[in-house]
Amino acid sequence: MADSKPFQIDLGNLRAREKDQSPHTIEKVDHAGDELGFVPREAQKRRGRRPSPRTGQVHAKVMPQVSDEIAAEARRRGVQQGVVIEDAWSLYKDKSGI
Amino acid sequence: MQVPTIVVASPKGGAGKSTTAVLLGTELAHAGAEVVMLDCDPNRSLSLWADRSALPSRIRLLGDVTESDIVRTIKQHDQDGQIVLVDLEGVASRLVSRAISQADLVITPMRATTLDATIGVRALQLIAEEEEALDRKIAHAVVFTMTKGVKSRQHIGIEASLAEQGVDLIKPPLMERAAFSALFEFGGDLRTMPAQGNMEAAQENAALFAQAVYQRLTRNV
Repeated sequence: MADSKPFQIDLGNLRAREKDQSPHTIEKVDHAGDELGFVPREAQKRRGRRPSPRTGQVHAKVMPQVSDEIAAEARRRGVQQGVVIEDAWSLYKDKSGI
Repeated sequence: MQVPTIVVASPKGGAGKSTTAVLLGTELAHAGAEVVMLDCDPNRSLSLWADRSALPSRIRLLGDVTESDIVRTIKQHDQDGQIVLVDLEGVASRLVSRAISQADLVITPMRATTLDATIGVRALQLIAEEEEALDRKIAHAVVFTMTKGVKSRQHIGIEASLAEQGVDLIKPPLMERAAFSALFEFGGDLRTMPAQGNMEAAQENAALFAQAVYQRLTRNV
């Protein structure tokens, strides 16, 4: 039975090598793995803002056709689109009594 | 002090990786080593084992280790005088190839079936590729798992084929034992769980296996 003659580990006898963890080395390891089908399988984190479920736009502000109209009006007036939106906000405030 | 990192790897699911890792970790800890076990399997087999009861003394478990942090996690712990034991997922993934690059010994558990051997050999091919890429030897060995008292013809054939190719076979193999699979039901180790089948034989098998691994860790690598 194992416990009648238990073996003891002598840490001083254990052998370990120094391993290279540099990005260049890991790149070589990744390449070697890729060749044999050991490829990334973890879900990649999505960067940036998720598309709006309402408009499908990444930076959802207004519906696409409204966006086009605002862009066209800004071009016609030679101003930034934000100026058109500021004007609209001003009219909204007057109308709403804010 | 830097101590060895052992990686348990096979792209074949159900080959006995987690059982091998738990048996090895608990036996090494029983023999006096500090062991940190890394659970890199999305199925969280080691974490499930750890949740069943208190961890045996001298064992720590870190869960949810991923592809992006495996190298850093091994590096953090292999300097602390603790044996690092990595249990990997049963797929061919980048996590596997990165873990192998940091190993002092890779153990590939394999059931003595043609399917296990065919898929398990892919781990050996990966090690060979990495050895070439890194220009260093990576010690590795195969352990047969869930073996029967009498070897099948298939087992004898696979063993002979691997030996012919110069593959290091760990002896003794890990037999099919009720106590081994019950580790995931009761947690702890073979000394703390309620008796399951022939406990004495199970303990002896696990201890001799751990000693065989220990001998490989004390060679010049």
